[in-house]
Amino acid sequence: MFAYLTAVATLVGVRSLLTLGLNVQWGLTGLVNLGVIAFFGVGAYTSALLAVGGTSILLAWPAAVGVAAAAGAALAMVALRLREDYLAIVTLGFAEVLRLFLLNETWLTRGANGVTGIPRPLHTVFAGRYDIFYLGLVLLAVVLAYGALERLRRSPFGRVLRAIREDEIVAAVAGKPVFRFKVQAFALGAGIAGLAGALFAHYLAYVEPNMFLPQESLFVWLALILGGSGNNRGALVGSAVLLGLLEGTRFAKDVVPFLTGVRLAAAQQILVGVVLVVLMVRRPEGLIPEKTESN
Amino acid sequence: MPAITQYVFNGVVTGGILALPAVAFSLTWRLLRFPNFAVSTYLTVGAYAALALNVGLRASLELAWVGAVVVTAVTALAVDRIAFRPMRGRRPFSLAIASIGVAFVLENVVRFVWGNDFRSYDVPVTRAMLIAGLRVGREQLLIFAVAIALMALAQTFLVRTRLGIAMRATADNAGLAAVKGVPTERVVAAATLGGGALAGGAGVFLGLDASIDPLMGGSVIISVFAAAILGGIGSGPGAFVGALIVGIVEEVGTLVVPPTYKTAIGFVIILAVLLVRPTGLAGARS
Amino acid sequence: MTISRRDFVKASGAAGFALAAPALLAAQSKEPIAVGTLCPLTGAGGSYGPDMQRAVVAVVERINRAGGIQGRPIQLFHEDDQTSAEAGVRAARKLIDVNKVVAIVSTWASAVTLAVRPLCVEARVFLIGVSGADAVTQGDHRGYVARTQPNTNTQGRMYARFAASKKEWKRIAYMALQTPYAQSFGEAFTGAVKAAGATITDSLIYEDKKPSYRSEVTRVLGTNPDLIMLGGYTPDSVVMVKDLYRAAYKGAILGPSFAINAKFIEGVGPDVAEGVWNMDRAPLFDSPAYKEFVAAVPGGDQSPYAPQAWDHMTLVALALAAGKGEVSGTVIKDQLRAVANPPGAVVYSFADGAKHLAEGKKINYEGASGACDFDQIGDILSAPFIVQQVRKGKNERVTVINP
Repeated sequence: MFAYLTAVATLVGVRSLLTLGLNVQWGLTGLVNLGVIAFFGVGAYTSALLAVGGTSILLAWPAAVGVAAAAGAALAMVALRLREDYLAIVTLGFAEVLRLFLLNETWLTRGANGVTGIPRPLHTVFAGRYDIFYLGLVLLAVVLAYGALERLRRSPFGRVLRAIREDEIVAAVAGKPVFRFKVQAFALGAGIAGLAGALFAHYLAYVEPNMFLPQESLFVWLALILGGSGNNRGALVGSAVLLGLLEGTRFAKDVVPFLTGVRLAAAQQILVGVVLVVLMVRRPEGLIPEKTESN
Repeated sequence: MPAITQYVFNGVVTGGILALPAVAFSLTWRLLRFPNFAVSTYLTVGAYAALALNVGLRASLELAWVGAVVVTAVTALAVDRIAFRPMRGRRPFSLAIASIGVAFVLENVVRFVWGNDFRSYDVPVTRAMLIAGLRVGREQLLIFAVAIALMALAQTFLVRTRLGIAMRATADNAGLAAVKGVPTERVVAAATLGGGALAGGAGVFLGLDASIDPLMGGSVIISVFAAAILGGIGSGPGAFVGALIVGIVEEVGTLVVPPTYKTAIGFVIILAVLLVRPTGLAGARS
Repeated sequence: MTISRRDFVKASGAAGFALAAPALLAAQSKEPIAVGTLCPLTGAGGSYGPDMQRAVVAVVERINRAGGIQGRPIQLFHEDDQTSAEAGVRAARKLIDVNKVVAIVSTWASAVTLAVRPLCVEARVFLIGVSGADAVTQGDHRGYVARTQPNTNTQGRMYARFAASKKEWKRIAYMALQTPYAQSFGEAFTGAVKAAGATITDSLIYEDKKPSYRSEVTRVLGTNPDLIMLGGYTPDSVVMVKDLYRAAYKGAILGPSFAINAKFIEGVGPDVAEGVWNMDRAPLFDSPAYKEFVAAVPGGDQSPYAPQAWDHMTLVALALAAGKGEVSGTVIKDQLRAVANPPGAVVYSFADGAKHLAEGKKINYEGASGACDFDQIGDILSAPFIVQQVRKGKNERVTVINP
């Protein structure tokens, strides 16, 4: 049971980090990124391919962050000139294109086979209790990211981002280079998502393209909205609650005899969809509402 | 190497199928001011409704199509009442996310009832005819003809009838329309029913052209969006033309790019259009 | 005292089986053995998982009715891997750590098997499935992995052998669904075909879940093939073959039997399916194991993987029974080849095998899906392939290709 809980906690941690990245883009700056999973994938694959090729983790992980951030910046510079609902579809399409790229460019990504045997950092050192070590590593990353992002939120940069979220035109009139700030925020969120991806890849020791389907972004959004649309604490809480829900219903089925197989899985997913709709209708601010801060 | 005209023709047919949900999506986006991601699952609902009638109750495909259109229209209306009406006036983002949730629910309801297996209608498959060097399928012609007829019908409705004109007025400015006495909720209901009907009918065509499974709507979603954006949000004829172009570019594009990247072509179109001419071909006011 | 979930399940299990046979009441007094199934009930593989799970359930019913393993019943725990590696890992973790299974059977997707493999090896839980990618049995798995599906290299060469055997098929095209083994199968197939003197006119990998393959079909038909080798699953094969028919393709089509099955024929209609060749590793149709499988799992003969799932569970149970009291994944690993490979008395069911083992005899299980003989790395040894052709709406056996 303990090993199972450790595993779930590790995955919750990774997902929380990813959700924090999305929060920088959406919660802080108001940018709709429906393709957030793509940056998760870019980070995962970058680190996996480098590490399998012999690069040290100390270089591979920062590279994952860098490449994801660069990809984010590139997409942002192209797409951020668009209206909110257009941006949504563009980012969704980007995630789909990335998945196709991962699937088809086998010379680079090994295609549908995926990348196996991704080395785990310090595996020999912590052999027996490795899962706990890795959980600690992930939690450390989450804590550091959370701390940094909270500081960011309160910083002048953060205030500008929030101003942009509230009313872009006013911010522009006030002389802020809105576009530049948006690109930076988007890239930062992408980089954090990339770090989450690297942690994910090295935990599973295996990555393949179908881990990064565009609909996975939906779950990240759900976690953020559920926890508290637009704040960092909400990102953490939402991820924990969502994964807890998904794992919890797994046990429920051992006791619910009349639903089996496909039916049960479909019922589980219907529940997720219904929760999403109900949330948006009744409590769009989520479990932990954002405190409005006076300047 | 087959003549490029074969690819163009193939694209025209694919575009014809895409045109119906594209029009529905484009018009409802304009009217309700958010991209309704559930439109893709309306395709799925329509296809399965027809399946239930055609295979389950042994109805003819024509009758099943009509039934599917009705069922999907009603489903769309129910969705609007339950999920979107409580959120009128909220920011587009919330509605879009809610529509994603709806899409998820509809897809899984279908999966719950019918499982994951693909299905087919009870109709024979026919070989294509050879017309002027082109391979032309019988169903393809039928689908395209019906699609055009429906488009013409929709356009006439919007331009000639009171409700249609009211719909366009509300799309342009809901506040003003309300002040002038145009009943917004009735307009929304009509648009929702119409959009659902179009998408449901298209779903049957899709099921006829390919096969039916819970994920069928999701496979064309990007292309539908591309078509609507290319045509200009809010323009029915624009979405129709946009769908044809998207279909053609996707098919012809496989000459240049591996077929596995077909979906990517739709995305590239979206991006290109939005950067160069964000209001699309029909140039509707944003 | 609160009733734990485990007690509850055991109690209801006892109530259910009490009607079946007195032997079972005796079995219930002993601790059950936990085995997990990890099949795709949703996702891309969603149409295959339910039948595999059903086959395993049917076998366990029989095993428990026959007295279980040294009196201990098998208790199954089912999980859906959602045809996703990550979901599969979480599910496997639950099966291993919470349910304490000694084996995980009937995985399907190569990605899931590959992701779950390290967990099983580390926990010494036996993993057996139908995944086809080469990487599944490669590398260091210490014997804890086996599969009942021939690896792609073997498959490619067998299909090529048949394709090259017909002189009228000089121009051959390969079209395959995007899967982890499409590439390696394609290479093995096209290489062997070329070596036999035929021409490969086109080699194309197509995407899953497309509503139409018109452009792919147009491209391939432009190269004028006599035979199209189609490597996909039933859903995409239905769409592809319909599109080929519509495009008035008059040449031959060859595909795997797990795709070109009764569901396929029903999907495209007998006219379109007429003449489509298909082949696959031959299940032992005449064997008692297959007959028992067909009787126990209604509709199971339509599933390409259910016979294998049946064998997975039977093999695991027999290996445990051969362990003389000790029950663990390691025992399964150690005893698998002893109960599955020759020499030994040929047995076709658990009941049969358990009886022989109780008498101290060595057995050789021949299953529903094939002879089930494994090599050192967990692959099944090469087996004959059966070639069929669809004639008047039914698949008819035409010939056998021997390794």
